[in-house]
Amino acid sequence: MDVVKGEEINDSTQHYEVLMQLGDCHATVGYYELARQYYNKAAAIGPDEAGPYVGLGVISLHENHLEDADIAFRVAYRLNNSCSKAFAGMAMVHQQRGDYRTAFDLYLKCMELDPNNLTALLGLFQSSCQMGTFAKVIHYLELYLGMHPADVSVMFSLSALYMKEGRLDDSKKLLLDVIALDSSNHDAVNLLEEIEHKIAHDMQVGVNV
Amino acid sequence: MDPMVSIIIPTFNRRLYLPCALGSAVKQDYKNIEIFVVNDGGEDVSDIVSSFDDPRVTFINRGENRGKAYSLNQALEKATGKYVCYLDDDDIYYSNHVRTLVKVLESNPDYHVAYSDLYKVYCNVLPDGSRQALSKVVEVSRDFDRYFMFYFNHCLHVSLMHRRDLFEKTGLYNENLNILVDWDIARRFAFFTDFYHVEDITAEYYTPVEGSDRISVKGRKDLDKYKKNVLAIRKTRPPKPWYKTKDLSIIFDADEINEGSTRTIGQVVGHTFHPYKFYIPMPAYDWARINSDLSNMVNVDVAPNASRLEKFDKALNECEGEYVVILPDRFNITDLWVEKAAYALDHSCGNECFELEDSSECCFAVVASREDFIKARNQFPKYLLRDSLVAAGLVIKKVDELSSPFEFDSYIHLAIQKEEDGDWKRAIEIYEYLAKSSQNKLWVKTCIAKACFEAGYYTAAVKLSEELNNTRPTVNTLLQHAKICRKMNDYTDAIELLKKAEEILEGKELVWM
Repeated sequence: MDVVKGEEINDSTQHYEVLMQLGDCHATVGYYELARQYYNKAAAIGPDEAGPYVGLGVISLHENHLEDADIAFRVAYRLNNSCSKAFAGMAMVHQQRGDYRTAFDLYLKCMELDPNNLTALLGLFQSSCQMGTFAKVIHYLELYLGMHPADVSVMFSLSALYMKEGRLDDSKKLLLDVIALDSSNHDAVNLLEEIEHKIAHDMQVGVNV
Repeated sequence: MDPMVSIIIPTFNRRLYLPCALGSAVKQDYKNIEIFVVNDGGEDVSDIVSSFDDPRVTFINRGENRGKAYSLNQALEKATGKYVCYLDDDDIYYSNHVRTLVKVLESNPDYHVAYSDLYKVYCNVLPDGSRQALSKVVEVSRDFDRYFMFYFNHCLHVSLMHRRDLFEKTGLYNENLNILVDWDIARRFAFFTDFYHVEDITAEYYTPVEGSDRISVKGRKDLDKYKKNVLAIRKTRPPKPWYKTKDLSIIFDADEINEGSTRTIGQVVGHTFHPYKFYIPMPAYDWARINSDLSNMVNVDVAPNASRLEKFDKALNECEGEYVVILPDRFNITDLWVEKAAYALDHSCGNECFELEDSSECCFAVVASREDFIKARNQFPKYLLRDSLVAAGLVIKKVDELSSPFEFDSYIHLAIQKEEDGDWKRAIEIYEYLAKSSQNKLWVKTCIAKACFEAGYYTAAVKLSEELNNTRPTVNTLLQHAKICRKMNDYTDAIELLKKAEEILEGKELVWM
């Protein structure tokens, strides 16, 4: 006969979790020094965990200390080679250094491990824009939207890529969806205007031909 | 004048942690205490004890290791307190521990035992021996339930305070037990008094994640020894009168004792946790041939040619329990086989008896009050057992599934199952049903708050979490509340809650450390 003893489940990661939460909260509100202290304490409690090093890397990125960020993300990766956030962090470092090809590959790796990682997805988009190649990223944006169908920022990014690839009808359809979800999205309204203008122009060219 | 409280600290080879434990006893904000440190034949700790230089501390330095129960009894011989409480040498009290428990016992004189909640601290032991807390969880927090206590100890020894004069009724600690001495004594207390549950957290006990050196933990690894201790405890019957428990007399209803019936008898021993005596009607010379060293077995001497009814009636007249059970030979015996019916009888309005779950026309098994049984048998001695009960006007009922003594646990298990399936909405419904009962309100509320959070009902979750943290914050409730605040982008409150949780984890309230 099973009995239930009490109210709380056995858990040996609680202190680590509290410290990580404190680090994340402080980092979110911009108290980087405090956040750093909490991440360091979390690393001491959970020496095998990648999380604190991801947190430290993110802070260094915010402070534009690319070298420190790179080291922190690499430590995170060493501790857990399937830590998607470590890949995203390393990608961001490379992107900021102008190494878009490596950044792109690292973002891709991150997406393979965690298809829901929005940071990596947008990083993919940006780095592919920076390189001028879009084919691969369209696939990932479509994949992501399949899972998060109402994500306006990704919808907008994808519509911009469709436009660059000459898929004007697809782009227009997506922008109309964006505006239906968020009528105050001026970027979408402007891009739609641009696309309609281009479609009209293309039709005009076709008529003339 | 505040009543005297005796604190007993048995110690064995834990020099490193004893100063913390003893320090936490000395620093109680309730001052009228006497402390007994009993060295159970371990390494010398006299320097540690004398370093406190406190006249309230008595040191019993025994050279021979004779176990915890012996150590406790040795201190109890010298104790003078109206109340007694206990502290293991690697655990700590918070400074309000004694005061909190004395207060409820003094204000509720019908209760002779009180207990509080504790943090179970999972920790790393660092190379220098110091302990690094990884988590602090309230692992056991249940309102007192007598049936539950007969089955499982839900009042940890460190959290227990009781009147010293209870020992006059229960006897002292059982020195023959290797482990579970705390459950044994709490179980015996339950025969005589209700326990008052204080939901405040007033102490901590430590469990290293790499494995505990506690005797109670090590002892459980030897399953045979553990089971022997459990059975010995379940058989223990303190002297009567029992003020709070009905005695159960199980009368074996069999034509003869053979191999099959021996198995049935063995199953009764293995599956019965309600206090009982087992009456076996058979000729005394046959009984003498059976190797029976079970103290709760009683032979009812009957003639070799006695009928089953005659055997039963003789046993009924000899037995002493307030409740009587008819147990037919080869009856199906599993956990709760008799406790459900006894529980139903406890809650009956009278003039009723309760048939056991697998009882049938040809295999009639029932629990009734002895008084009703005697009345029925006296009035209708020639009738079969069932017929005599009916003829005497008793209503024979089947046990209602929902009135099981462990109904609460059944529902909690169901809710946990729903949580595991991701069906948080259904889990909430079950918890809300449980919240209507009078038991374990804080615990159930914690479960509802968690389920609301997981289900995405953040407004409800935050309201419940606020109530919980205003009543009794724990690391878990604070952490959960902080997560909800984060979800709602309220980082200021989240940080404040997390800092409180961190303070608890780091032991900042422990002034003596």
